[in-house]
Amino acid sequence: MNEERDPVQALVVRARSGSLEAFEGIYRACQAGVYTFILSQVREPELAADLTQQTFLRAWEAFPRLRQAGAFRGWLHRIAANLVRDEVKSGRVRLEVPQSQLTDGELPEPAAERRDGPEHAALQSELRRHVWRALDSLPADQRAVVVMHHLEGMPVTEIAAAMQVRPGTVMSRLARAREALRQRLSEYVEAEAHEM
Amino acid sequence: MWKRKPMRCDEVRSQLADYAVGGLGRRRRAEISAHVETCQACRADLAALARTGELLSDLELESAPAHAWDSIRYRLQEKSRPTHRRAWESGWIVAGLALAVLVVAAVTFLPGLKPEPETVVAVQVDAEMQASLEGHLAAVWSAPLADAAEVGLRLDSLEDDS
Repeated sequence: MNEERDPVQALVVRARSGSLEAFEGIYRACQAGVYTFILSQVREPELAADLTQQTFLRAWEAFPRLRQAGAFRGWLHRIAANLVRDEVKSGRVRLEVPQSQLTDGELPEPAAERRDGPEHAALQSELRRHVWRALDSLPADQRAVVVMHHLEGMPVTEIAAAMQVRPGTVMSRLARAREALRQRLSEYVEAEAHEM
Repeated sequence: MWKRKPMRCDEVRSQLADYAVGGLGRRRRAEISAHVETCQACRADLAALARTGELLSDLELESAPAHAWDSIRYRLQEKSRPTHRRAWESGWIVAGLALAVLVVAAVTFLPGLKPEPETVVAVQVDAEMQASLEGHLAAVWSAPLADAAEVGLRLDSLEDDS
């Protein structure tokens, strides 16, 4: 992870001095993480894209207030989280979706994952959709930590900084999320676990 | 030496998710590890939680729309332009203010440019004084040198007093 982050840290140092080229490098490296994080919260691609842009614009303006280049990713996510919170406060977006609006559908057969070829790829894609849907059913704060931890690979301390909570709270949210998702995906994960 | 009782399945299961994500203290982790080694049901539960974690880690990040950076760059450039114009405008404002200060200072401190203040003395005139003034004006009108003669007489009397 450090090897991946070092280039971003170097870019952050240059971007703080006003290099738009370095800032573009940061954008290329971090945009997917920020966009996915926001999308997991607001669930609307267009709004998520707009808030992603706003996140980077604010980051550019707020660079003088960033104390450590190494804290950049957590700091960037905090900006994104604050923008999402503003949207929620204004009533333009809802973080929680009633369970009745979530549909489960049928999960693919576990054994299919071990096959190769286009069928395997299609089943994997279908499975991912199910996992996303299950993720959608979680409370917003759990969705946030799952995306940052599992998809972006952020360490717990960095997530804690982004969410402005204690690391223990992040661990607890991850555990509750894992528990809930295990229930929601039980048809798949239990069948497979028993095969072990 | 006192030894803790082995954990029951229900105790283990209530903390299994915390264990799966790497939480809990070292001692509690060791207790749960010891339990799952001997308990097949809890081991299966733990495996299901681990598999759930793998499914999450298999998810891929979504990318923002391709044109997003162009839009950000455009907005950053737009923001920087007004900043330059403001700087240019504020330069003229400062120059204008400096010029105004110089003009005020010159008018205030240069003797040739300083206008003479007009002294206005307000005198309350009562009826007795009015009559005296009118008499004086009539005398001056009829004898223009009377004032000068009176001033001379007064000066003489002052010199005599001293």
